[in-house]
Amino acid sequence: MSPQSATDDTAASLRLARGGNATAFADLVRMNQASVYSIGYRMLGRRDAAEDLAQEVFLQLYRKLASIESLEHLGFWLRRVAANLAIDWLRRATYSATQPLDAAAEPADPRAEGDPLMTRALARLLGELAPAARAVMVLRYQEDRDVAEIAAALDMPVNTVKSHIKRSLTALRGKMIGAQLVTAEGLSEESP
Amino acid sequence: MSEHIENQLRRALRRIEAPPGFTDRVMRALPESAPQASVAVVSPSRPRPRAAVWWRLSTPAALAASFIVAIVVGQHMGTERTKREQRAGLAASRELMQALRVTSKKLDLAYQAVKTPPETADVTEENRS
Amino acid sequence: MKARIAFCLALSLASPAFAQINGQLQLPQFASLADKASESVTVTLDSQLLGLGCRFLSTEEPDEAAAKKVCTSLSGIYVRSYTFDTDYAYPKADIDGVRRQLKAPGWSQIVGARSQKEHTDVDVYVLVDGGKARGLAIIASEPREFSIVNIVGSIDLEQLHDLEGKFGVPDLQIETDNKPAVTPPAAKK
Repeated sequence: MSPQSATDDTAASLRLARGGNATAFADLVRMNQASVYSIGYRMLGRRDAAEDLAQEVFLQLYRKLASIESLEHLGFWLRRVAANLAIDWLRRATYSATQPLDAAAEPADPRAEGDPLMTRALARLLGELAPAARAVMVLRYQEDRDVAEIAAALDMPVNTVKSHIKRSLTALRGKMIGAQLVTAEGLSEESP
Repeated sequence: MSEHIENQLRRALRRIEAPPGFTDRVMRALPESAPQASVAVVSPSRPRPRAAVWWRLSTPAALAASFIVAIVVGQHMGTERTKREQRAGLAASRELMQALRVTSKKLDLAYQAVKTPPETADVTEENRS
Repeated sequence: MKARIAFCLALSLASPAFAQINGQLQLPQFASLADKASESVTVTLDSQLLGLGCRFLSTEEPDEAAAKKVCTSLSGIYVRSYTFDTDYAYPKADIDGVRRQLKAPGWSQIVGARSQKEHTDVDVYVLVDGGKARGLAIIASEPREFSIVNIVGSIDLEQLHDLEGKFGVPDLQIETDNKPAVTPPAAKK
């Protein structure tokens, strides 16, 4: 399926879902579940928690569907709600911020390139960041959103987003060196 | 900042598919299709071969079931109340942050006007009483 | 005599001066402005809601931790901020009503900034009572944005100063115990 026809299908599903079509809503869930579930998983570190969160996000979407204006809005809305809900849950200590990721939870990704040990370690180290910083990093590097959109989604100033990215990258680099995953020479430091 | 670590992060944070059946579970949880809760209550009036024994066993069981239901419902209501308070608190905290951001933005506006050279701004600092 | 005393007391209680001692301004609803605005921010946090919100701030996030320190001694935050698509879509009369309240005893204007280049007016007022700041008011008008901020409570100016860098709050040289105020040559102490 070409990207354009996939987009047209999603737009049609959105239109139908807003009209009350359950099948169309299920299509929207299927099309967006990976993004929402992954945000939950990266934030909360547990598959069961990620599924609970993703389900809650889609239930909220079902209630708020009439306010979704476009596909872009849908994507933004889902990321915003998922990230903020995850931050809320972490702060309520329902899911501890330092809770380690499920040991065997990371599914094998056939598309994965590079060092799987490094990949797993980085994902684990991300779980040690504070909730808001973690959300910024997930939206940046998993969802590939720009700084302005992250700021809007998380209701924080752009400069705060930039600070989180810079501080988090520095912290992650330090932890990777400390864990001897890389050497300091292997990670050349350039000024931003 | 190092491109290497950023690329590593992108690889580490690839999206993960939701577990099989996720969409079906979401659809089942939607309000129209929410499963109805049911509590089995033993009816002592139904004729049973050992009615007397059954009656002696079922009444305490029904009482116990009702007691458990009451605890669960009470806990649920307490949980709902806590959730409501948490939602209200989180909403209030967001409003608070928004208010402080507007405050800082406006103070910054004043600061910018204060530090602008006199030929482009007319600035006064009032006497403090 | 007693009737006269009671009358004077009632008058003083009704006067803006008494109403201002706690630093809270009577802000209009600005319903007509909200309808015209392309964006609006309305925050009304009395002491109860403010306390609740303050409890839910995280100490892990630097900006929220700084905000938590500031808000624990406050009893209200009120913001009305409107953005418009056209210049000066808001009537000045709405702002003048608020300015009049700031002429009451106790309120001091500490900054009055006018930028001809940016066409902005920003006035910052502090209510001082018993040597402490009990209220802060900011009225900012720009061509397409109009904002009023009213913060009520025991305002620790040092903590407000500490918000610098967290919210981008600049150093306005607000006087604290440790820092002298920036005073123009003609200022009186």
